[in-house]
Order: sequence, then C-alpha cells, then structure tokens
Amino acid sequence: MVPVRLRTAWLLLAFLAWGEAGNAAPVTFNTALPVAKGMFVFRELFVVRRARGHQRKAKGWTSVSVLGYGIDPRWAVFAVLPVVGGKSLSFPTSAGRRQRSAAGLGDLLLFGRYTVYQHDLPGQTLRLAPFAGVEFPTGDDHERDAAGRLPPPLQPGSGSWDAVAGVVASWQTLAWEVDAQLGYRLNTEAHDFKAGDRIALDASWQQRLWPRRLTSGLPGFLYGVLEVNGSYQWRNRISGHKDPDSGGWRLFLTPGLQYAARRWVVEGVVQLPVVQDLNGRALKDDWIVRAGFRIAF
Amino acid sequence: MNRSFLCLLVAGFALFAVPGMTAEYLLRVDGLGCPFCAYGIEKRLRTLDGIKDIEFDIAKGEVILTTEKGITLNREQIRAKVKEAGFTLRALSVREDSADGASTP
Repeated sequence: MVPVRLRTAWLLLAFLAWGEAGNAAPVTFNTALPVAKGMFVFRELFVVRRARGHQRKAKGWTSVSVLGYGIDPRWAVFAVLPVVGGKSLSFPTSAGRRQRSAAGLGDLLLFGRYTVYQHDLPGQTLRLAPFAGVEFPTGDDHERDAAGRLPPPLQPGSGSWDAVAGVVASWQTLAWEVDAQLGYRLNTEAHDFKAGDRIALDASWQQRLWPRRLTSGLPGFLYGVLEVNGSYQWRNRISGHKDPDSGGWRLFLTPGLQYAARRWVVEGVVQLPVVQDLNGRALKDDWIVRAGFRIAF
Repeated sequence: MNRSFLCLLVAGFALFAVPGMTAEYLLRVDGLGCPFCAYGIEKRLRTLDGIKDIEFDIAKGEVILTTEKGITLNREQIRAKVKEAGFTLRALSVREDSADGASTP
C-alpha cells in the first residue's frame, strides 16, 4: 500500500497535465480569439514532465487532443481529451526502490466560450470571453499492478465529476499578442479522494520575430513566446481529512516558439519552475515540455 | 479554300465565345492580426456561390475576392460572412473585369 504522502504527490502533476492544455495561441492556455462559424480547430499537444523530491522521482508523458468548433462568431465549444502515454513514480522502500506506473485514457473535458466584448481595429483586435465547462469521469481509474490498485494520483482518470470556469482576454496586433486567463477548477470526490480546488492566472506574450517587416500577401509568422503560469491549489482530502503534503503555490516561466501559417500552427514551450511553495513533501517539478500542432478545417 | 477555312474559324469563335464579366471585390477587414485567423474569413466567404479566388494582404487588412463570370455579390452578403468569421468589415469596393481581362474602373 503506497503511503498517503506518496500518493498525493502525484495529484498536482496529474492535475496540471490536463488543466493547462490550451486550445489555441497561447500554448499553455485558452485564448479569446474567434473560431469562425462552422470552423473546426484541432490541436494536439504532447506534454512531458519530470518531478522529484524526498528521494522520489516522477515522470510522465501525455498526449492531449483538443477539438474546437465555432457555433457562431461569439460561441465556441471545445472538447479536451488526454491520453496518458505513461506516468510513473519511483520511491524507496525497505526492500529497495520500487516503481509504480500507469497509462490509459484520461477524463474528457467539455467547455464553452462566449465572447462578451469585441473591439476590432485595422490590424488588431481586443476580445474578452468567459468560459465554463465540465470534466467527465471517462478515464481509467481502476488501474492495478502487482501491489494492487494504483493510488488516485497515478490513475489516468480521476473518477470524479469536476468543473472549470474563468475568463480570458486577448489583445492581438500584427506585431504581437497578449493574452491573460483567470480560471478556477472545482474538484469533487471519488474513491474517498478529493483533489484540492485550484485557481490559476496565466499570461502570454507572443512577439512576431519573422517576417520582420510585412509587405504583401499572407506569409507565415514566426513568434517568440513568453508565458507566465501561476496557480494555487488547496489541499487534497482523503476520506474527508486534509492531506498535509498537498497543495501550494506554483509559478512557471514559459519560453517557446510558435509558427503560424494560414491553416496550421506548430509550437513548443518549456515550463520552468520559478516558485514552488508546496505544502509538506509534495513533489516539485523540474520542468515541463509542451509541443504540438494545430490545424483548421 | 484557305480563306473559307479562316472565315469558318472566326465564325466558330463568335458562336462559342462566352460573354460576361468577373468581379473583384476589395474588402478592408478590421480585427485581422495573424495568418491563422485569415482562414476563418476564407472559409465563410467560400460559402457564397461563385467564388473564384480569395487572396489576402494582411499588412493592409485587405481581402481580395474574385467571383466567377456573371456572379455579383452585395455588400450585406459580404458583411454577414465577415461577421460570421468573427471580424468586422470596414470598407468594400468593387472592380469589374471584362472578359478579356482588361479592367473597368
């Protein structure tokens, strides 16, 4: 039986893996830019992360698929489905070092976004859009190994119905773009485990690096990207009791690159921890890499 | 014999030549800030009948829309499609081309 402290350490990682997968530019979170009526945007993002602490090591990778659809100029709906390619936790025991791992389908998130404010000018736009959604317990949450059922943080799915809500603002010009998002995630209980709720503030700046000067036509744009991802998570609850080794503050600095053509985008960033003021013995991230592509059709 | 054949050839062209004008519309669109955003405008405009070609000049915020011969569009049609894409039509001007490609202001 994995000690409670070890179990809970993974929760933050599992949560972050899907929670920050964005839908459009920026890379790590949502945007208020329009999805045209009748248009689909598909995004695939590969997330790889490493974490460690107190003689424990954690690693994993997840493929996050996002499909967005424009119902009309203001309404867009999105589906986010992570597939955990593999995540593992190794830790010391009296019998030597052990490792437990899992892979499988994650939980499906559906959310809608509505543009409440739009101001268009030549070559630029300013938008504001709230969003809200529900995460369904579609993921695998009964994975087992030789030692028995894996603890909740190692399971690909949570088994719980959760909700997200927030607001995103975007200001895009031909030379640069700035986005900011404030989001809240409400988690419910499953299998006597409730992950702590989470509030996050993300910001992104994308600067066009090439072409340096726009002439005519529709060239592809190469952007330099710099994002900041801050969050606070409340403590988890196990059988109704607060887990002292969970929750806390995180702040990441996230540089990257993005190339945007007419119908596709390729992008990649690396999240580097700047602040990790976590409670107790929670694992701390070494780094998180996110890379992928988007296509419109 | 050669002159008769030549007359026949000219008559044939006169019979089968298709008269008509293509139209070129110059749209000025506000809110357009990146290439990936332009595709949304193209997708909505292509739902109009008779669209032959769509080109962008993103630096100027311009969309050049060319229709098939005999097809004409009105301002409200175009404005609605730009709005469906999530942008704002600021200005629209029309230029018609003759069948042989010469422009008519």
